[in-house]
Amino acid sequence: MKPSAEPRTPTPVKIIIAGGFGVGKTTAVASISETTPLRTEAAITTASEDVDRTAHVPDKTTTTVALDFGCITVDDDIKLYLFGTPGQDRFGFMWRDLVLGALGALVIVDTRRMDDCYPAVDYFEKTGLPFVVAVNLFEGRLSHAVEDIRWALAIGDHVPLVTFDARVKVSVRDALLTVLRTTLERVTAR
Amino acid sequence: MPDPDVSLLRPYLLTSGRTEPIDRDLEIETQVLTSELGAASHASLSFERRDIVALCTKTMSVAEIAAILGLHIGVARVLVADLAALRYVVVRRPAAGLASDPAMIERIIRRLEAIS
Repeated sequence: MKPSAEPRTPTPVKIIIAGGFGVGKTTAVASISETTPLRTEAAITTASEDVDRTAHVPDKTTTTVALDFGCITVDDDIKLYLFGTPGQDRFGFMWRDLVLGALGALVIVDTRRMDDCYPAVDYFEKTGLPFVVAVNLFEGRLSHAVEDIRWALAIGDHVPLVTFDARVKVSVRDALLTVLRTTLERVTAR
Repeated sequence: MPDPDVSLLRPYLLTSGRTEPIDRDLEIETQVLTSELGAASHASLSFERRDIVALCTKTMSVAEIAAILGLHIGVARVLVADLAALRYVVVRRPAAGLASDPAMIERIIRRLEAIS
């Protein structure tokens, strides 16, 4: 062990919190982060036919996507970051950056708008990142049977499906623990 | 509110026309800490670089720098990469393979289990 008086720079690790707009990502991050969650914006360059506004960069347009994040200090050496991001195909640029080296992902689902989480589910399936689908209980109750949700999302039995309440710290903790245990299972099974 | 067109062009102006960081793979969770050289050179730096050097006397991530200074995340990555190349800041990037290290994952699990 190094002396504690020496300034330490922790090694960062991260979990991705994905899902559609307004699904509870920001709330979930805020519930468990030990610091006030921060928001930053990433510039996303997408192909566009609208060249009027960005005459200097023809055929491209710049939009921004908000990234909400918080953190949990694990110990002196490890700091866990939680990055909440909307899962949209057209934000592919940022997704690659975000997902690289992530421990896993929590995909939050609102059963009233299940379609919103398809891009995230597809992306994690394709990249092989361990992920868990978490149904946010907005009204404190489930409007669909869990297995119906699994069927609707077309996720395999290997993907854990949990219910949680993004407003409740221990509920978010348990959802994140499910992500970590899924990741642990994956790496120890190799 | 600033003119939106100006805002869109700002990232390019700030980074001298470059849109890729020196190290394009600098992760947004990368930890950044101002070096002694950076602290000593503080006065000679231009606005955003100076702000970053002043901010990172306490370790923080590229994402935090972007959020606190109101920079687009891509701009923050470029500026931090520049400052790191000049050795004005030191960076601690995520360790390769850490995400698949069972002992490390277990440490995080134990820490989360302690949250109540």
